[in-house]
Amino acid sequence: MSAIAKPLVGSHTTEQEDPREHLMHDPLPRGEMNAMVMDSMHTTTWKYWTLAGILAFLVVTCLVYAWYILIMQGLGVTGDNRPVYWGIFLVNVVFWIGISHAGTFISAILRVLKIESRRPFTRAAELMTTFGLVQAGLSVFMHMGRVWLSYWLIPIPNERTIWPDFHSPLMWDFMAINTYLLCSTMYLFLPLIPDIAMARDRSTGWRKTFYRILAIGFRGTEGEWKNLKTAMNIFAFAIIPVMFSVHTIVSWDFAMATRPGWSSTVFGPYFVIGALHSGMAAVAVVLFMIRSTMKNMKYFIRPEHFDTLAKLSLMVSMAWAYFYFNDYLVPWYGGDKWEKILQDFTQRGPIGWLWYFMLFCNIVVPWSILWNKKWRRTPWLMAVVGLLINIGMWIERYVIIPEALTINRMPFTWQIYIPKLEIFLTIGTFALFFLLYLLASRLIPLIPVWEVQEGQEGHILRKIGKAHIPTVSEID
Amino acid sequence: MSDSRMLLAIFEDIEPASKGIDTLHNLGLSEDQMNVISGIPVKETILGRRPSRTHVGIIAMSGAVLGLLLGLFLIYGIPFLFPLDAGGQPIYPVPEGFIICFEMTMLGLMGFAFLGMFVDSGFPSYTPKEYVPQISDGRIAVLFHCPSGKQKGFIDALMKSGAQSVIPAEANQL
Repeated sequence: MSAIAKPLVGSHTTEQEDPREHLMHDPLPRGEMNAMVMDSMHTTTWKYWTLAGILAFLVVTCLVYAWYILIMQGLGVTGDNRPVYWGIFLVNVVFWIGISHAGTFISAILRVLKIESRRPFTRAAELMTTFGLVQAGLSVFMHMGRVWLSYWLIPIPNERTIWPDFHSPLMWDFMAINTYLLCSTMYLFLPLIPDIAMARDRSTGWRKTFYRILAIGFRGTEGEWKNLKTAMNIFAFAIIPVMFSVHTIVSWDFAMATRPGWSSTVFGPYFVIGALHSGMAAVAVVLFMIRSTMKNMKYFIRPEHFDTLAKLSLMVSMAWAYFYFNDYLVPWYGGDKWEKILQDFTQRGPIGWLWYFMLFCNIVVPWSILWNKKWRRTPWLMAVVGLLINIGMWIERYVIIPEALTINRMPFTWQIYIPKLEIFLTIGTFALFFLLYLLASRLIPLIPVWEVQEGQEGHILRKIGKAHIPTVSEID
Repeated sequence: MSDSRMLLAIFEDIEPASKGIDTLHNLGLSEDQMNVISGIPVKETILGRRPSRTHVGIIAMSGAVLGLLLGLFLIYGIPFLFPLDAGGQPIYPVPEGFIICFEMTMLGLMGFAFLGMFVDSGFPSYTPKEYVPQISDGRIAVLFHCPSGKQKGFIDALMKSGAQSVIPAEANQL
């Protein structure tokens, strides 16, 4: 028996995909690309300032003023109370750390694997990491209440002979998150240097001074490039295990406790994959916003990039579902009384709908949309999917933290958590994230132009038989 | 180098730049007498140049070792100096030590890679330098020492190799 391949009915055998659909095969002169990026940075319309004004207002009222109230009146003005001492603040910490993970991870893993479609969007992703970690840090400080004593976290001896306890997962958290924040910020800055130098060459006035300082004297000599590329390679490889360690350690904040819903051996990888799930979806949302609101960005950010992200998202979504099932099945099968009560409460309790909505956002939405190539390449649809996944992932953290804390082994303490002031503070952190992004978009080049040009130099169309096949040479 | 003058040959692309470098070699210039400045990284071998050395890797590895030592100090040295009994657990926690040591090692590795890039490249540097803004527009410039009296011969040869222009290199504020 031999199988004979038959042509597809209705297929257009002569029709070929236009290679210029791919950024790498649609090169423009470098000067033109530089001008496009600079133009996008210098263009601010009334819509931009209106949005910036609204976000600034939200930051002042919901973040600054609400935090002032929190400091003056104490944590009693929040919904945190027995038995739920970890409320939305901790939900936000885990959520923002998750968001920040995918930024650097996407950039690093795609760089290590030499995935060419990464080139225009690595910076947008890396920026998300730094700004996301800022929100996570703020949420920790809010949760502390007496924020002026936050220096007690730093491992230095003090006059009270109080020493941070390295047995505590919270101490590991402090070390890991700070390592990740510092390394991510350095990793953001390194590939930015040549683009800052480009901006320096094309600016005047205060911008020239600003870029001259940030460009640190970079010209692009052989030695400078060699040092820069070596440092970037070290970062790309080293930051991946750090990323895995950070979210594993965040999961241990919960998993090391012997309480229902938390004590789980699978929490480490489950949290890591959850972080990637929300982070990748957030990158799609951010890319859509950049593409649709900033001038000239449609040239750099194309449907192919949403396609790449969507494929990764689909894969991560399946992995997340697997880990979720794994984490669900073992306690269910184990038959522990308290675990059973918690599962009943989560699914059939007064806020059980959250659990179903979480599964809808994190599984049903991506699985039903991201299999389709045409849909994957539709930017607005990817933004909607990304938004829903992020809502789903935020709810997932809500289910894990305040909902799980509601049920413990002392039924007389059970009480449903109702957030109060922390709702405003949450809105404030989201507003600050977008405001920082908005301001950064006009100060630093969001597109790594030199990386795009480097990629375009290495791409050619090679004729094989009757077809022209996109081919890449490894010139870096 | 009082008997030579710095010139800057500007090329449109990689191909003419590599020809220009060949020309300079043929005219008797050594590798050390020229430097390539470009808007994207171009491997030295592509331009027919000897690969340059970088110390960033070594510096980063030193940082990793220092980070590991700092981690060991935090996890074992500090409890030795300030013993603290916590819940009947050992003073020197071994499994937790791996976590702290790992984080500190990676912080040392990456922190020193970052610093190494600065140190090895001489950053930050705000003194005037030989540079033209066309480089960040994608041109490739070759900066070289031209023996005095041979300027015209060098310029003609480079223009024949495909240089867009060959100009005296002046140090300007970037």
